Amino acid sequence: MSGFRIDVRLTSLATLGALAIYLAGSTAAWAVPSFARQTGMACEACHTVYPELTHFGRAFKANGYVLDNLKQLRDVDARKQELLELSQMPPLSIMVQASYTQLSKSLPDLSQAGVNGLAQNGTAELPQQLSLFYAGKIAPHLGGFIQLTYANDSGTFSIDNTDLRYANMKVLPNEHSLVYGVSLNNNPTVQDLYNSTPAFGFPYAASNAAVSPLAGTQIDGALAQNVAGLTAYLWWNESLYAEFGVYRSAVQGATNSITGAAGPLDGTTSNVISGTAPYWRVAYEYNRGPHSIELGAYGLDVGLYPGGTPSSPQPLSGPDNHFSDVAGDLQYQYLGDQHLVSVAATYIDETMHLDASYAAGAVQQSHNDLKTWRVATTYYYRRMIGGTLGFFSTTGSTDAGLYPSCPAPTEGSPPCAGVVTSANNRPETKGWIAEVNYLPWLNTKFSVQYTKYNDFNGGGNNYDGAGRSASDNNTLYFLIWFSY
Amino acid sequence: MQFAKTIKFGADGRGTARIGSLLAIGALLFAASTSNGYAQEIDSATKAHAQRLAIGVCGSCHGSEGRSQIPKYPRLAGQNAKYLAAQLRAFKGQTRGDPDAVGYMWGMAGNLDEPVIDALGEYYAAQRPAPGIPGNPTLVAQGQQIYQSGVPDKGVPACASCHGPDAHGTAEFPRLAGQHSQYLIKQLSSFSNNMRNQPVMHVVAQDLSQAQLKAVAEFLQAQP
Repeated sequence: MSGFRIDVRLTSLATLGALAIYLAGSTAAWAVPSFARQTGMACEACHTVYPELTHFGRAFKANGYVLDNLKQLRDVDARKQELLELSQMPPLSIMVQASYTQLSKSLPDLSQAGVNGLAQNGTAELPQQLSLFYAGKIAPHLGGFIQLTYANDSGTFSIDNTDLRYANMKVLPNEHSLVYGVSLNNNPTVQDLYNSTPAFGFPYAASNAAVSPLAGTQIDGALAQNVAGLTAYLWWNESLYAEFGVYRSAVQGATNSITGAAGPLDGTTSNVISGTAPYWRVAYEYNRGPHSIELGAYGLDVGLYPGGTPSSPQPLSGPDNHFSDVAGDLQYQYLGDQHLVSVAATYIDETMHLDASYAAGAVQQSHNDLKTWRVATTYYYRRMIGGTLGFFSTTGSTDAGLYPSCPAPTEGSPPCAGVVTSANNRPETKGWIAEVNYLPWLNTKFSVQYTKYNDFNGGGNNYDGAGRSASDNNTLYFLIWFSY
Repeated sequence: MQFAKTIKFGADGRGTARIGSLLAIGALLFAASTSNGYAQEIDSATKAHAQRLAIGVCGSCHGSEGRSQIPKYPRLAGQNAKYLAAQLRAFKGQTRGDPDAVGYMWGMAGNLDEPVIDALGEYYAAQRPAPGIPGNPTLVAQGQQIYQSGVPDKGVPACASCHGPDAHGTAEFPRLAGQHSQYLIKQLSSFSNNMRNQPVMHVVAQDLSQAQLKAVAEFLQAQP
């Protein structure tokens, strides 16, 4: 449920941008068989059921994806310094998702202005997504998770979640371990170890043919794949985790208007981070018997220049829109041989100071806020059949600029299509996701997912001002998801 | 994967004579399975590497210094070095075939050098064992009876005759005291269905009922 952006001039553009970013951010990732081939261990060592990590999976990630049990091609110098350590099998994987999405009520057909009709309901996607991964060791302490994705909606390949990391471990005098490392990544929380934070949180796969709400916090996927972050972390005794780093805009597909080169970014690019955005994370994990519990907090402080487009540039200077995200998270796992139970929850509180948008008259008030809750409980029997029940809620302040309603009708113009508008200019979106999964093999998942909205973009009935109800966006989603 | 064929005993193989045979065969088989040709002195660099592996890799499941808190993963602290090294070689050679060995340890041990295997065995042997976990007193008492005296009418010998009166093991036989009961029960099941290839333990485990397996495991888990 992520991703909105603010455009000081064209709120409709902001809406479309939000949708695009949501869709980009919703691309699923993740457990990749190249890790299994590299370690020689079955998926179950690192995952309850992919992509949720076990404690050992968290340790593998924190240590830089470098644990390997393959024969290595090596080189050393005269001081026995390792110069090269290559696996004889490159850590490559492929992932395919095919899906079918059915909305409770189809969307309006806008292909002919003024004609009342509905689009065809039921979207078949083959594939919904196809990803290629380099996921594994690069050098003795350097590993990577690099995902290149073809998405059905864009019809193109583009860079997806990426996490390059250096990690090492020091044995402390009391025989506790201290893992330390650096991550270079393109999505805040993609580097995190727990499935209670946004990038690898539930739902692990979602339809890209469903309707997305307008509101979402910045840390909840809004910046995904358009930033570069450098963070450093410590993990003491595999229990106490602390991380700090900064993110800077690294927009894909943006070019400098003078040179046509990749940068520097100028006023033709929208939503550019002002300087750098600090990110922080602390977490404590406690393991006892088959139980594992984690409690943590994380946050991001980001200033965005609204910027513009090539046809309507705006300088990257003056006031910015400032977002302060502070979040808490909790994860519980019970790992038995037959039964597996997980609970993951997060609460994100975002405070917005939208000085740039307010000065441009694009929002009603300079100060706004958003609060997002997500809780999901998962059960699996023998890692083969199981399901998840999740609750989600986003609430916040009212603002006609952030959550626009249908424009006043004018003579000769087509009726408002609604769907991605809010009649009361409020962000409330609440509902449930129920999912059932069957895994005949550990790398193959068949899913049926149903999303039920109680509120959508501020309301239940006629939430968009064009006659659509929140429940019309209820989504039935069939998914085949396999990795090799 | 090759599993050993079940040892078949004749109809008269039950009782005291059979116990004696089992013990003799067991001693021979364990001695053979745990012996290795890498008994030379382990250098300090290998010891340091093994310590690093134990803390940084093995410890994620087997716990800090081998005192696992997770019942799925065995406690290794205080285990005898030769037994541990033999198991690592069995994982590496893919001759130990119980499910967690296949899913986890075949890969994990697949690339271990021979001296590192011995050093890992010595590292864990030198660690302070975890204290026992108190269990159901009735079950513990039943388990103690089986452990110390066996089940003569089924031809099951006393576990103590190989694993020692205090279940601390010997140079050849593994320490069982303080081990997670869940792990012990799974191993006994794997012996019973031959996924873990150990003919003597196969016969013993096959002859114990589920209730008896559970009682012995509960007793052993409680031992210091």
